[in-house]
Amino acid sequence: MTLQKLFNLKSKFVTRIVGEELILVPLTGNVAQMTALFTLNETGKFIWENINDKNTVEDIEYLMTEVFDIDRETAENDIRNFLKKLETTFA
Amino acid sequence: MPDYQYIYTIYTFSMANQKYLNIADFTIKLQSNFEFELEIGYDSFITKEETPEPDVTIQCYPGIPTLDLPKKSLVFEAKNEIQKFYSIYQTGPSFAFIIYNQQTKDEIQQVAILDETFSRWEVYSNYEDDKIIPLKYPLGPIIMHYLTVKSSAVMIHASCIFDGQKGRIFTGFSGAGKSTISKIWADAGNLVINDDRLIIRKLDNDFFVYNTPMYYNDRPKKTPLDAIFLISHFPENKMKKLDGALAVSRVMAFCIQNNFDSNFIQNNLNFISELSTNVSVFELGFVPNESVINFILENETTGTN
Repeated sequence: MTLQKLFNLKSKFVTRIVGEELILVPLTGNVAQMTALFTLNETGKFIWENINDKNTVEDIEYLMTEVFDIDRETAENDIRNFLKKLETTFA
Repeated sequence: MPDYQYIYTIYTFSMANQKYLNIADFTIKLQSNFEFELEIGYDSFITKEETPEPDVTIQCYPGIPTLDLPKKSLVFEAKNEIQKFYSIYQTGPSFAFIIYNQQTKDEIQQVAILDETFSRWEVYSNYEDDKIIPLKYPLGPIIMHYLTVKSSAVMIHASCIFDGQKGRIFTGFSGAGKSTISKIWADAGNLVINDDRLIIRKLDNDFFVYNTPMYYNDRPKKTPLDAIFLISHFPENKMKKLDGALAVSRVMAFCIQNNFDSNFIQNNLNFISELSTNVSVFELGFVPNESVINFILENETTGTN
């Protein structure tokens, strides 16, 4: 899943912050997906919140290295895993 | 014409059939110009008390109207590979519910219109032996669910037990053991609130669990809620306390929801977040015998074993 695709999908989720985590609930027109909730940890929440119509993957990588104590390669892996997981669940 | 007039007069005179129900401390007023009856499970929920301002009023009519519902107004469908259960169309600020007959599959059993305030339904049903049955399954539970949508409440698939001191909910996927664990507690002399469909409400600062009408007769029951257990069969009794987003999302997964409207979801998230902050949520793997009772009593205060 690309950032652009995820940005387009963002409006189809309802979110709620609980502590440092974020719950994503998809809007759905059938019963099949009603148990498909998603819980993001602090890193996932940060990535989600920084997905917009301007940021690139590189921009978010940079922001992550600024906020969390991680290097660029770790940030890149985190973003890749995040997108892969969302694709598996909600594609 | 005179005959017609006469018949009409009698008809009008027999108007205003009405019944009040008290379900989960919500007052429901059913009224009709026509004879209607309720399924047996509602009998004990009928109240003599006539409330001037019921939480919801259901106007009942015979016959299924023909509605012009464009496909694009379809917002939700409850169906499986074999058949449809119900469809929801958004018509301006109102919602139209098309309920399908479960025996004959695609035949429409009822049509129900919910207004924008969620406090008024119009229910159209076919005659059955000269009577209409407005809350016929599954419309009855659907209406009960929509009672919770704009309140501090949720409807959940679960069993609930009251042991005289504490109310405990046991929820999980189909086959997880909701009825089994409920029977284990019942055999040990505890009160089963219900083992299938419950309403949880927040009243003042406390959470309560209520049973709802089923296909059999049972009296209305209510208990304070102290803990929620997400259950599954397991080779040994094992439990773990859940917190934060995990507790909220796991409980929410078992609540009855029509997630086509972001306001409905937000209301659920808000309620369940508050619920899981005030009521302990546990993951429980259990052996299906009476040992699980003592296991819970011994470990629910410490949280993990």
